[in-house]
Amino acid sequence: MTRVTIFDYGAGNLHSLAKSLSADGVSLCVRTDPLAALDTDVLVLPGVGNFAQAAERLAPARGAMRDAIRRGLPTLGVCLGMQLLFEASTEGAGSGLGVLAGRVTRVVAARVPHIGWNSIEEPCDPLFRAAPLGRAYFANGFACRPKSDASVIAWTAHERDRFPAAVRAGRAVGVQFHPEKSSAAGVAFVRAFLAEAAP
Amino acid sequence: MTLAKRVIVCLDVAAGRVVKGVRFADLRDVGDPVALAARSEADGADELVFLDVSATVDGRATLLDTVRRTADRLFVPLTVGGGIASADDAARALRAGADKVAINSAAVDRPALLTELSGRFGAQCVVASIDARRSAHRWDVCTHAGTAPAGRDAIAWARECVDRGAGEIMLTSIDRDGTRGGYDLELTRAVADAVTVPVIASGGAGSPEHVCEVFTRTGADAALIAGIVHAAEISVATIKGALAARNILIRDAA
Repeated sequence: MTRVTIFDYGAGNLHSLAKSLSADGVSLCVRTDPLAALDTDVLVLPGVGNFAQAAERLAPARGAMRDAIRRGLPTLGVCLGMQLLFEASTEGAGSGLGVLAGRVTRVVAARVPHIGWNSIEEPCDPLFRAAPLGRAYFANGFACRPKSDASVIAWTAHERDRFPAAVRAGRAVGVQFHPEKSSAAGVAFVRAFLAEAAP
Repeated sequence: MTLAKRVIVCLDVAAGRVVKGVRFADLRDVGDPVALAARSEADGADELVFLDVSATVDGRATLLDTVRRTADRLFVPLTVGGGIASADDAARALRAGADKVAINSAAVDRPALLTELSGRFGAQCVVASIDARRSAHRWDVCTHAGTAPAGRDAIAWARECVDRGAGEIMLTSIDRDGTRGGYDLELTRAVADAVTVPVIASGGAGSPEHVCEVFTRTGADAALIAGIVHAAEISVATIKGALAARNILIRDAA
């Protein structure tokens, strides 16, 4: 059995994400204690809430979680969970994990939040070959601004603001979209991540 | 590229069943919400809305169970509205598997609720649902299923909702709702032009052409459809086909 752990920072809906991760051979649990969440084969940082609150909940285990991810703990960060891989956010106080260099800033567009189905552009990662995604569902007011484009494995754009749809740092993958809300193709993407994380 | 225009299916739910009536009267059972939601996703719906029209304590508990069972099978966003009056009500709906909550009368009664919800769950979770009725010189906000005028101008109220933290506006024309005569384009355009968040047009869809025109003639990001899909008279796929034929950007569900 592959142990998959969702770190629950206390806001919002984990239901669909949990469901999308519930594959054969997966033992899924949800932990509110970030240190306990590291006792796992695969870590999932979910997508709902605000940066400051999540960073505060993460704080006691920030160094340990960053080290675990750097040592190769397979990790999927969804939306806010992706943003937590970076250093900081203008949405609120607190530090992200700093697995990737860069900050999170507000989407620059006439209509914000960026809500709806947007295209996944320039995908360049085996995950997107295993599970192609033409469009995915986004719901974000903030976006990641990596110091280097080298970590970006797909892009999207809202009006004139172009930002990463997905990033990778070793075995950690962050997606700005919600694969668990992106219908069958999105669920297939989650399963492809699981297949890569725990072959 | 850019965001696709969304087609959102709204199901009125009471006591664990999807019902349809004319503006909350003469409710008629039209099916199982879990099955209808799954069918809508398969048919290409970009999102689902459950509107709780039971408005009783028992009905609300049943709704959360319905949301839970639906979320087990649904992999597109689900918004729950109707009777959410507090941050705790919203938390319960989200925990049950809703992705967003739609707030209507409760926001008019206490606008600070929008700010509380936005702070706790994020603006992308908070849909301000506005029912508007045409009067002599403006559109009046109505509450309590469109029956009670709130003494507010709909455009000013939409702006205030956004200032207070709403991440989307769901705008229903009471005059058009249930008529199948088309969306109120003037109202939709006025509100979409006045706010900086996505606007979901609602009330009056009777044909695929109505959905096309709300996208070509107003700044709406999404169109809500209810009655016309309930009895499977017109499918989401048919509507999306009509949108694609007009070169309106949609998500191709295939």
